[in-house]
Amino acid sequence: MDRFNPEVKQDPLEDIAMLSMEFGRWLMECGASGAVVDEFVARVAAGLGADRADLRVGYASLAITVGRGAEVATRMCKVGSPGVNQRLDQAVRTLAQQVEQGGLGCAAVRSLLDRVVQETPRYPGWLVDLAVGVACASFGRLLGVDWRAVGPVFAAAALGQFFRRSLARRQANPFISATLVAFVGAVGGGLGARQLGSHTVAAAMTAAVLLLVPGVPALNAQSDILDGRPTLGSARIVWVAVMLVFVTAGIWLGQLLLGEGR
Amino acid sequence: MSMDYALVLHQTVFGGLAALGFGVLFNLGPRSLVWCALCGATALAVRSAGLERGWSLEASSFSAALIVGVVVQLLRRRIGVSRNTLGVAGCIPMVPGGFAAKAILGLFALTSPTLENPDSTLIQSLVFSLRVVFTIGAIATGLAMPTLLLRLRK
Repeated sequence: MDRFNPEVKQDPLEDIAMLSMEFGRWLMECGASGAVVDEFVARVAAGLGADRADLRVGYASLAITVGRGAEVATRMCKVGSPGVNQRLDQAVRTLAQQVEQGGLGCAAVRSLLDRVVQETPRYPGWLVDLAVGVACASFGRLLGVDWRAVGPVFAAAALGQFFRRSLARRQANPFISATLVAFVGAVGGGLGARQLGSHTVAAAMTAAVLLLVPGVPALNAQSDILDGRPTLGSARIVWVAVMLVFVTAGIWLGQLLLGEGR
Repeated sequence: MSMDYALVLHQTVFGGLAALGFGVLFNLGPRSLVWCALCGATALAVRSAGLERGWSLEASSFSAALIVGVVVQLLRRRIGVSRNTLGVAGCIPMVPGGFAAKAILGLFALTSPTLENPDSTLIQSLVFSLRVVFTIGAIATGLAMPTLLLRLRK
């Protein structure tokens, strides 16, 4: 369908490019795969009046070329640290679907997007800490941790998540932060398990830091490669590998301190 | 080959709980959390049943991810746009984080001046690394296949 109509007042292509990429940036930062980002950015650009949109999804930046009739505009934006925020991801996708229907200008869409970003709820920090404790304790059972170590793994993982949130608020480097959190979690889990007479202290130390395993980026990396985006997938794999090394360094330091794992 | 149903049930329950906890960390909505726990429980049930049948970890993880991927696509009207995220969150308990840590710890150990069996340490570390790579590849491929097939049908 040709959306170009010179009689109707249309937003400048530069605004369409920047706003479409803003949707992509939020989706990237919420943990979406490259294919999802590509699809939803194209839908937003079409809804805002672009005839075509070509997006390049990089690990730390997005670049887009949008066109309408003979006009073309190319813009680029940075992407922040990768995270996972499913409710925001869903809200941004829902808004993108609404924009795709047409009838909304750039100013209105930007205002709606800002509202979505500000108003999407998050669980309270203490609840997330406890949930992470439950997840790691369950992981522990899946890894064969005995019942005596389950409580310490729960407590150490919850403490680790609390520490991770504190470091994130101070904008600590994510890799250094991962080592520190892994050290705290491993030592907490190991000491607690040892005090309670567990026979699976080493496994408890590992289970208590599984909150740091970058599962979503690892799976996204593979999806990106399968979807024909090897550059993005490779960048994610490198990030995942380096993160795992830093997490393991924290466990290793914890094992040195407690004399475990040798 | 007989199956240890108690073990499968144990893995199912804790797989669901692990997915639920990670669902909160990933900020899934309250309704999606229920689906997330169900996806995690399904994934671990299928994987444990596969392992009990003598399948490899990679084959079991692939089957589990494929089934979760199919289920979330079949329920897409109920689940909505977040179905792919739910599938990923449900499969998170199968990501072999423990193996990854063992693999890298093994590599760290290789540089120790007092290492007694460097050959076996290296081989063990390599085996763990390969299992991590193959298992993550199997999970991601299993999850992606239903979506890719649906795209082909369109």
